[in-house]
Amino acid sequence: MIELIHLEKRYPSQDGEIVALEDIDLKIGDGAIFGIIGLSGAGKSTLVRCINLLERPTSGRVIIDGEDITNVSKKRLLQIRRSVGMIFQGFNLLEQRTVEANVRFPLEIARVPKEEAKARVRELLELVGLSEKARAYPAQLSGGQKQRVAIARALATKPKYLLCDEATSALDPNTTDSILALLKDVNRTLGVTMVIITHEMRVVDSICTDVAVIDNSRIVESGKVADVFSYPQSEIAKELIIPNLIRSVRSAGGKKLRLVFNGDVSDAPVISGLALDCGVAVNILYADTKNIDGRMFGHMVITLPQGEEDAARVKRYLAQKNVSFKEEL
Amino acid sequence: MLLLTKLFTQLGAEGFLLGVWETLYMTAISTAVAYCIGLPLGILLCITDKDGVKPIVWLNKIVGFLVNILRSIPFIILMVALIPVSRAIMGTSIGNRAMIFMLIVAAAPYIARMVESSVKEVDKGVVEAARSMGANTFEIVWKVLLPEAKPSLIVGAVISSVTVLGYSAMAGTIAAGGLGSIAVTQARPSNAQDVIWLCVALIVVIVQAIQELGMFLAKKTDKRVRGKNRKKTEKGEQS
Ligand SMILES: Nc1ncnc2c1ncn2[C@@H]1O[C@H](COP(=O)(O)OP(=O)(O)O)[C@@H](O)[C@H]1O
Ligand SMILES: [Mg+2]
Repeated sequence: MIELIHLEKRYPSQDGEIVALEDIDLKIGDGAIFGIIGLSGAGKSTLVRCINLLERPTSGRVIIDGEDITNVSKKRLLQIRRSVGMIFQGFNLLEQRTVEANVRFPLEIARVPKEEAKARVRELLELVGLSEKARAYPAQLSGGQKQRVAIARALATKPKYLLCDEATSALDPNTTDSILALLKDVNRTLGVTMVIITHEMRVVDSICTDVAVIDNSRIVESGKVADVFSYPQSEIAKELIIPNLIRSVRSAGGKKLRLVFNGDVSDAPVISGLALDCGVAVNILYADTKNIDGRMFGHMVITLPQGEEDAARVKRYLAQKNVSFKEEL
Repeated sequence: MLLLTKLFTQLGAEGFLLGVWETLYMTAISTAVAYCIGLPLGILLCITDKDGVKPIVWLNKIVGFLVNILRSIPFIILMVALIPVSRAIMGTSIGNRAMIFMLIVAAAPYIARMVESSVKEVDKGVVEAARSMGANTFEIVWKVLLPEAKPSLIVGAVISSVTVLGYSAMAGTIAAGGLGSIAVTQARPSNAQDVIWLCVALIVVIVQAIQELGMFLAKKTDKRVRGKNRKKTEKGEQS
């Protein structure tokens, strides 16, 4: 488990200090795929770089498997880093080394015997599906392939944790999906705990189990992905999770109702049901729902009818149909 | 036919060849030794920088200051200043030995800056990745910075050796040999234009040869460049 306790990071600058992280408390459980989402400049990279002490926090503690790593010897820290792999937005491969030599690099650092390293490299390239590119140089690979090499390299020393800083942000949507699938696979089959830094909702949406939302150097909310996504509390979380909703809803007048579909509701025609069963026509302001295996997921915002009685009837109907809703926006 | 000067015939093929040999020999030895000093200095300057792998600001400032001082002294003045130093260290203040010593002193700080700028070109992200894998400073220098900067380092070495070759033309002032010496100390007083121009031509040829060889090596070692070319041909073959 990774625990961040009261982490704080300030950078000195000409005019005072830049506060990059403030009051960060976070627990990342073993086996989780922990997403950290926030806008650019929120402090995501600083946060993840504090986890393996590439950046020293100004104050606070980083505890990995019970060991406070802000307090260990240099030698021990280098050892610990081998159990925490990291991948980056820019891949950061050694351009003058072949693919296999890149993957071998951390094994050289860890002084793994040559023969053993060779076998390990072969195994890793197979895992990421790049065996036939072993002798190629990074310049000859596509972005997605480079990230696969980086993943293989990060996993070489069999780390327990993998930190991913915007690992898919430089990739197109299809490639992003394949990299995310690979990460999920690594999490499931090797049990590697993942920390996924991103500004893209869909990344969290598609693989994360937990999520923390960071804004302006602080964690503004965190929890299980399903909970945070269904009922985002902070403005920034709403903005990130349902960006169009905020805009479209604010511009419309009247009372509104936000419906949340958590998969509890089967794909019943709720809206047309409203019209037919209650005799009330509602206006859909926003909808972002999807149907997975006959179950509905996502959000929808509708206007409530003017009359109190009609409004009450709508709510009753929704409750009866097991749709959770909130009258908040 | 043009009439050759007396000096030209006196020197003959042997005289010019000796000049070429002395120039090459002074340049090669000076550059090689200066590189052995400049390379570690350049690495030191790069890694002890405040954004470097191992920031040691005071050391960086001191070394940077010394390098800058040496670099800002014009070579001809540095030579004069180094006469007593050369006598003390090399046992002589004239001839090839003294010249090589002076070239080394002039070239080492120059090379240090060259190396520094080459190494600084290495992507910070790659260094960060290496750190995240638990590499120590030595491993980062040896396994990341130097190999990744290699093509650029080779180009820097070529430029440095051409600069040293240029400096070596002043060898005549302390009775050291080489083409510069022939042109300046022997041909100039007797106005032997043919000798001067032949020296110029020979130097141009030598510089060109160093240049071509160096760029060829740099290109050959650079996997980024080769990668691009290969990719192109690969695509070409596929389509
Ligand atoms: N080395 C640094 N020196 C000064 N300020 C920094 C440094 N690194 C990051 N910052 C500042 O800290 C804040 C958070 O940066 P970062 O963690 O990179 O954000 P994100 O990854 O979420 O985009 C930004 O305001 C940035 O300017
Ligand atoms: Mg970032």
